[in-house]
Amino acid sequence: MYRTIAAFLMIALLMTSCGSGSETRYELVYSMEPVGSASQPPEEPNVPAKRYKIALVPKGIEIDYFKYAAIGAKEAGKSLGIDVLFRGPATADADLQIDIVEQLIDQKVDLIAISANDPVKLVPVLQKARIRGIKVITWDADTEPEGREFFVNMVDPEVLGRHLLDTLALTMGEKGNYAIMTGSFSAANLNEWLRWINIQQREYYPDMKLVATVATDDDQDKAYDVANRLLVDYPDLGGILGNSSVGPPAAARAVKQAGKSGAVKVVGLSSPNLMNGYLREGSAQIATLWSPKKLGFLTIMLAYRYLNGQMPVDGQEIEGVGNIRLNGDMVIMGEPLDFTAENVSQYDF
Amino acid sequence: MIFKRLRGFRFKDFPIGYKLIVTYILLTAFPMILLVYFSYIQYARSVEEQIGEYMPRFLYQANADVEKHIDELTKLPENLFNSESILGILRRQSYDRRADLNKDQYNMNSYLARTYTNGRNADVLGVYVVSNNRVFDSSNVGFKETGWGNTIMEFVRGFEPSGKAEIVLPDEIDLKLETASPYLFILKQINDDDNRRNLGTMLIAVDLTFIDNIVRNFEKNERADLWVMNASGKIIYHTNRRFIGTVDAEKDRYPVLNGSFRTDVTGEQRLVSVNQSTGRGWTLVHGIPLRELTEKADTVRNVTLFVIIAILLLTSVIGIMISYNMTRPLKKLTGLMKSVERGDFQVDLKVQSGDEVGTLARSFNSMISTIRELIQKNYQIEIRQKEAELYALQSQINPHFMYNTLETIGMAVEEGESDQVVDMVTLLGRMLRFSVSNQSKSVSIAEEVQHVKDYLTIQKFRFEDRVHFEIAQALEDTDFQGLYSPKFILQPIVENSIKHGLESRKALDIHISVGLEFGARSGKRDVVIRIWDNGPGIAAERLNELEKSLKKISFEGRSSHFGLINVNARIVMMHGPDYGLQLHSIVGKGTEVIIRIPMIHEEMTANAED
Repeated sequence: MYRTIAAFLMIALLMTSCGSGSETRYELVYSMEPVGSASQPPEEPNVPAKRYKIALVPKGIEIDYFKYAAIGAKEAGKSLGIDVLFRGPATADADLQIDIVEQLIDQKVDLIAISANDPVKLVPVLQKARIRGIKVITWDADTEPEGREFFVNMVDPEVLGRHLLDTLALTMGEKGNYAIMTGSFSAANLNEWLRWINIQQREYYPDMKLVATVATDDDQDKAYDVANRLLVDYPDLGGILGNSSVGPPAAARAVKQAGKSGAVKVVGLSSPNLMNGYLREGSAQIATLWSPKKLGFLTIMLAYRYLNGQMPVDGQEIEGVGNIRLNGDMVIMGEPLDFTAENVSQYDF
Repeated sequence: MIFKRLRGFRFKDFPIGYKLIVTYILLTAFPMILLVYFSYIQYARSVEEQIGEYMPRFLYQANADVEKHIDELTKLPENLFNSESILGILRRQSYDRRADLNKDQYNMNSYLARTYTNGRNADVLGVYVVSNNRVFDSSNVGFKETGWGNTIMEFVRGFEPSGKAEIVLPDEIDLKLETASPYLFILKQINDDDNRRNLGTMLIAVDLTFIDNIVRNFEKNERADLWVMNASGKIIYHTNRRFIGTVDAEKDRYPVLNGSFRTDVTGEQRLVSVNQSTGRGWTLVHGIPLRELTEKADTVRNVTLFVIIAILLLTSVIGIMISYNMTRPLKKLTGLMKSVERGDFQVDLKVQSGDEVGTLARSFNSMISTIRELIQKNYQIEIRQKEAELYALQSQINPHFMYNTLETIGMAVEEGESDQVVDMVTLLGRMLRFSVSNQSKSVSIAEEVQHVKDYLTIQKFRFEDRVHFEIAQALEDTDFQGLYSPKFILQPIVENSIKHGLESRKALDIHISVGLEFGARSGKRDVVIRIWDNGPGIAAERLNELEKSLKKISFEGRSSHFGLINVNARIVMMHGPDYGLQLHSIVGKGTEVIIRIPMIHEEMTANAED
C-alpha cells in the first residue's frame, strides 16, 4: 500500500519537475519574420535579370577630356557588372554624333548617355531612340529637355562661370583687357558659362574689359592660331580665359611662344595633364576643371540606377563620387577644382 | 513491476484502511499537484512568451542603434577629403628629401589627431592611415607590439580592397591594443574620386563599450548574455569578453533570425532572442536562462510542492489514524465473532463511540449477552427439570415410600380389600408412568393435578384418617385440559406439607385449589394453584430466609426446602420473575403455598437432546 502511495508521489513530482522537457534543441517561441520568407533573405531588387548595355557618347573620342571620362565610365561599368560602350565622333561634330546615335539604336543598347554637340540638332534622333525603348540621358553637355530624361552636369553653370572670371580677375589684379576663347558657339553648356562669366564681370569688375570672344571649335591647332591672333590683334591684352579644355593650353603655348609668359595671364577650363607644364613654368596661372573620370563614373552610376527605375535624388550619396545635387532635371556633380603650379601634379587627367 | 503486482488483486478487495488512504491522497494531493503543475506551466509559458515577444523589438532597436553608430563611424574616413592639403599629402608618391616626408608625416598626424582622436569621437581609440608605404597615425591607446607599423602595412596589403567599409576584428590583425575594452577596426579604402585612384587605407580602432551602453538600457540582468555577431557568426561583441572573436557555430541552426526561441544547447534551458540587421547583417543575440525568467514561479512552485508534501503527510497520518480507529473495532469484532463461533460466549466488545461502529458493537454485545442468557437459562431449566424428575422419581422409588406403599398394599391384601389393592397398584403404576414416561417439560394442568391427586390418594391409603385432602378445581374443563404447567410443580410442595405436617399433627388437611386469578404484577389472568395445609407453619425468620432463597433462583444444594426452591426456580426461569411461588404461613395455623403460572396453551416441547 505504501509502495503505491510512493509511486503516486513520484509520478506527481516527475510531472511537475520535468513537465517542460523537450526533445528538440530549438523551439521557436516568437518570430518577427514575415511568414514564408523565414529562411530566404528578401531578393535584392536591383539585381539585374540581364546584363545592361550602356553607350557613353562623348563630343569626340579623340579629345583627352572624354578619354578620361571613358576611364571613369569603364570603372563604373566594371564595378556594376554591365557593358559600357564608348562611341562617338573623332572630333566634336553634331552630324557625326547623330550617325553614332543611329548606330546605337540599331545595336539595341539599353541606354544612351550623350554629351551633345548641339542641343537642338540631336533632339530628333534621341527622341527616335526613346521611342525604340532606349533610355536617354545627357552628360557634360545638355540638349533640349525633350531629348533626354535628365542631364548629368559637372558643376553649376553659374558657379563655374562666376568662378572662372574670379580666377582671371585674381591673376590680372582685377583690371585690364581680356579675351575669351570658347569651344563653339553652338555648345549649350559653353554658352551658359559665357553668360555667367559676363555677368560676373559686369557685377564686380568694372575695370576689366572683354575685348574679344572667339571660338576654337575644340581643335588644338585652330585654338593655337586663334590665340596667336589675339596676341597680335590686342597688344595690350592682359589675360585670356578659355572655357573649353583646348583653349587654355593653346593660349599658354601662344603666350609662351610670344615671350609674354606672366604678362598675359592664362586661366580657364582645362585638364591638369594638358596644363601641367604651362602652370609650372608660369605661362598659365590657374586651370579649373572637375574630374572627367568622376563624371564618367557618375554618369554610368546614374544611368544604371535609372535603368533600374531609380531617378537621381537631391543630396543622394553615390559611392565613389560623393553627394550629388539636383536642380530640376539637372544633376550637379560637385564643385570645380582649381589647379595651380603647386597642386597640378596631384591630378592624373 | 508495480502494475504487474497490482493486476493480481482488485481494488475492491483491498482493506478499508488502504481504500481510505488512497482516497484521501486522491482527493487532496492529486488535485493540488495538478493545479500547481498546470498553473506553473501556464505562468512560465506566458512569461516566456512575453519576453520572447518584446525582446526582439528591443533588440531590433538596439541593433539599429549599434548599426547607426557603426555607420557614423564608417563615415569618419571621409573627413580626410575635407582638407586639400591632406589629400595632397596622400596623393604624393615620392619624396626627394627626408624632411619633406617628416613634414607631411607631422601635418598628417596632427590632422588625424585634430579630426579624430582629440576627444571629438569618444569611441575612437586610434586612427591609422596607410598610404604609399607610409603609416600615419594618431591614437589614444598604443599597441603592445613595437613593430606595429609594418604589421598594419602587411595586413592592409593582404586585404582585398572594396569600396565599402569593412569590419576587422582585432584577432585578424596580429596586434593588440593596450586596452581591456572590446574594440574592432573599421577599415576603409581612401579613394581619390577625382583621379579614380586608391590613395591608401584607413583603419579606425573603435571602442565597442558603446554597445554596453545601448544594451544596458534595457537589459540589466547580470545573467543575461548579449552578443553581436557578423553574418558568418563571428562574435564581435559579447558581454562575456572572452567570447569575442570566437565563432558561434550554432548560428546556422537557429530556427529564426528575427525572433525568439528556446534552446538547451548550453545544457540549461535558455530563451534566446535574436535580431539580424538588414544593413550589415549583424545579429544581436540576447540569451537568458529560463530559470531567471521563471524564478518567481519556481519559488511559488517549490513552496507549494513543499506545502503539498506536508499536507500529504498530514492527510496520510490522519487517514491512517482514522482508518485505524475505524477498522480496529471491526477487527476486534471479527476476532470476537470468530471466538463466538468457536463457542466462547464470554466476550465483551468495548467500544465507546456513538457512531455506526459503536451501535454495531452495542448490538453485538447485547446479542451475545442474550444468547448467553438464553443458553444459560435453557441449561438451568434443563438441569432443574432433571433434578425435579430425579427428585420425584427418587421420592417415589424411595424405599421408604415404596416400602410404606407396598406395606399398605400388603395389609390391604391381608384384609382382603382387593378393591383398595387394585386402586393402589393402579395409582402407583400411573404415578410411576407419569414420572418416567412423559419426556416433556410441561404437562396439562389436569395431568399435573391428577398426579398429585394420585400421590395424595396413595398417602391417604397409607395414613388413612391422618390425611385429608381436597382438590377444588375452579377451571373450566377446556382450560383444565388445555392449559399447561411445568411438570412436577405440585408434588414437591404437597410432599413437603405431608412431611412437615405429619411430624406435628395428628391429622393433616391439605386443600388444593386450581383457578384463574388476575395477577397484579403480570397484569394478566394467571393460573394460580393454592396448596394450603394446616401443618405447624413456618416461623417468620425461617419464612424470610426461605423467601430470600426463592428470589435468588440460584442453584443450591439439596436443602431442606429443595423442592420449593426448585419449583420456584423453574417457573421463574421459564416465565420470568412475575411468576413463581408465594408463601403465606402462620406458626401453628398452617401454610399456604401459591403457585402462579401464566396461561400456557401449548405444551412446551422437550429439548431434542432429551
